[in-house]
Amino acid sequence: MIRRIRYESMRLVEGPLLLKLQSFLIKRQKKKPEKYPELGPPLKTEERLRKMISLHYLTGRYADGAVPVAWATSGAPVEILRPLNYHVVYPENHAALCGARHMAGPLLELAESRGYSPDLCGYARCDLGTAFGGRTPAGRLPRPDLLVACTNICQTVFFWYRELARHFQVPLVLIDTPFLYGEPLPHQISYIEAQLRTLADVASDVARRPYDLESLIRATLLGMEGSLLWRQCLETNKAKPAPWSAFDQFVHMAVIVALRGTEECNSYYRELLDELKDRVKRGIGGIANERHRLLWDNLPVWFKLRSLSGRLASKGFHLMASTYTNAWGETADLLNETDPWRGMAKAYSHIYLNRDLPNKLRVMSQLVKLYECDGVILHSDRSCKPYSLGQISLSEKVAQACGARTMLLEADHIDTRAWVEGAVDTRLQAFMESFK
Amino acid sequence: MGRIEYIQKQQKEHSRKVIGALPVHYPKEIFTALDVVPVEIWGPPGLKAGEGAGLIQTYICPIVRNAMSFIGSGRADIVDGLFFPHTCDSMQGLATLIPDWLNWRKPVFRFQHPRGSHRPEALNYLRDEISLLVRSLEKAFGLSMNMARLHEALRLHKEAEGLIRLLFSRRLYFKGSDRELYSLIRQGEFLRVEDHIPLLKKAASEMADRPVHKAIPVMITGYVPEPMALLDALNAAGAMVVADDYAGIGRRIPRPIDNRLDDAGGIDAVIRRYLSLPPCPTKTMNPQSRIPYLLSLIRESGARGVVIHEVKFCEPELFEIPSLRKAFESEGIPVLFLETELETELSSRTITMIEAFLEVLKKNTKGEAAA
Repeated sequence: MIRRIRYESMRLVEGPLLLKLQSFLIKRQKKKPEKYPELGPPLKTEERLRKMISLHYLTGRYADGAVPVAWATSGAPVEILRPLNYHVVYPENHAALCGARHMAGPLLELAESRGYSPDLCGYARCDLGTAFGGRTPAGRLPRPDLLVACTNICQTVFFWYRELARHFQVPLVLIDTPFLYGEPLPHQISYIEAQLRTLADVASDVARRPYDLESLIRATLLGMEGSLLWRQCLETNKAKPAPWSAFDQFVHMAVIVALRGTEECNSYYRELLDELKDRVKRGIGGIANERHRLLWDNLPVWFKLRSLSGRLASKGFHLMASTYTNAWGETADLLNETDPWRGMAKAYSHIYLNRDLPNKLRVMSQLVKLYECDGVILHSDRSCKPYSLGQISLSEKVAQACGARTMLLEADHIDTRAWVEGAVDTRLQAFMESFK
Repeated sequence: MGRIEYIQKQQKEHSRKVIGALPVHYPKEIFTALDVVPVEIWGPPGLKAGEGAGLIQTYICPIVRNAMSFIGSGRADIVDGLFFPHTCDSMQGLATLIPDWLNWRKPVFRFQHPRGSHRPEALNYLRDEISLLVRSLEKAFGLSMNMARLHEALRLHKEAEGLIRLLFSRRLYFKGSDRELYSLIRQGEFLRVEDHIPLLKKAASEMADRPVHKAIPVMITGYVPEPMALLDALNAAGAMVVADDYAGIGRRIPRPIDNRLDDAGGIDAVIRRYLSLPPCPTKTMNPQSRIPYLLSLIRESGARGVVIHEVKFCEPELFEIPSLRKAFESEGIPVLFLETELETELSSRTITMIEAFLEVLKKNTKGEAAA
């Protein structure tokens, strides 16, 4: 009971107060001159984003013992956990945060010192490093009572969460989503649906609360609305200049990942959408001088977001769309409040990464056309093998299909050791020069 | 007879269809029952870069890269179709890259086994996947599944597996080297089980009455015994493999304790056998099941040490290494970890590591004898 009061107090009173104080202190700090003046003005909603995510991690510090805690993959059906009042931690989101704050290195090394190969996914290594007690910008993550992994983003999560289950000795529920070669077969959807129901049962047992279908439907509707709002935010970039960059999107997607299925999430995206529409009306772009529009494929290089963005912007290249951020908005229509289980089974199996290469080509071509991109950067991500395998052919095919110039950028989404500054610079220069 | 001659013979003399099968787990009995011959593509090792090699990044596992190169360069054109089990992300990617974008025009079959396959929903799904595979093969090649033939296929595979188990359990009585033993077992990667059994029987019948090797017994675990030179190096250093947990060898042999074949018929028997396979990181959900299994394998075989031999970039295997090492070391079992690609020869560094490991095992053995 005391822990619950502490948690709620942090969520509703202390946390917001602390963050207000932090904002005040930040505002008082002397502003450094902008390193990349070619970037557009920052989004006003960034302040709210910072507060929401900070509050999420801050309250998380007090969550264990107060409310049930689940660690889940980004593609897991969180709608099932919301009605049971779980505090949900997304290790991928946390690892991205570590990457963006340049704090992932020691966590990766800690996992490696315990025998995990540097060839394994960086997110997984970062997360395992955190589980082993490494220092995190979030302060600490609450210990999970339940682990939920969904293979719609990769099989890696299956292996990675099995290690977490071994470490924490808590139940692991796996939602095994068969890979879609074309459209799903009825038995595949039935299989996923049955697993979703199992998740509800196990989550209910762990939370010691009965399952309430009404609440599930409410969370599903909220999740649907959130994804649609996110998609609308992305689609404001049809305007020229595009009001925000893909680098902004990588940051602002934290809410759809970590708080999906909540009113808080939807209210945030309504505000963001208003701001983006206003920018479109006033002709404000994500970069100062948009001459070329680029699509990004794969996860971002979290530790180089700003410098990559600035480097491209300095030559008038606006990286303003990505297959990664698009993935959180593309299956919203498949959710269905009249048959939530079946709807979720369909929506969670149709994820971009769970589908074949012809579908990837179709989505990329659509995005290139929708946003009138004249170039595509495919991040060949050493850490993310399922996203990267096929990119060499994809690069050629998307160029043929859409007439866009393409380049393959070798890096890693979180491991700085895979970043070779000189090589990246040379390739980027050559790519940008090819537009002359 | 080499693979190519064998494949041609099956196609020309027996009008059988031959399928190029990618690793690792699949219900082989189904192919046997339909009289389709799966010829497995494990890389292959030591391959010169072919047409498809440049289409996959170098940080993807060499089995997938080499398979891409092998098939892309037309060297697999002899087969009548390709088969992709759902092993890992990379294999899953290959199963779209080759048929969709590599101009592969022959039939393609896929088998997506469930992860954590003992759950009720997983069993229903597994049944549907196996049935789908049967229907796909029937449709593509104009075949028809016969339950009597399936029953016979199950019997044959059980017999072959029993012989392989015998060869390992009485390893020190088998006169040949580890390379010879593994070569014999691995002929099952392309021979029909009917053709494999006589070879296994012959080897079993030629075993000596008493142990013929004075080597230190070890267990080996990993993905695939390539390069085979690794086995030569182990033998040369004074070790012998008495227990096997390679995904491609030992983990494909159902455990007899669970193998209640007689209780079930048809597809149910195939499912039971599938569920009786030893734990494998590519499909087993329970993180606690593998270590007790491996420790019992070590105990029963009398292995004095463990060689963990992995293929570089193999995610399912690599995630498990720390807990395996910890478990073995806490039991006082020496462990050697080796990571190789599909090269043809071993590096001198690897050979030195093997020699040093054997020195430790020999010292331990002497110490125990003195005590």
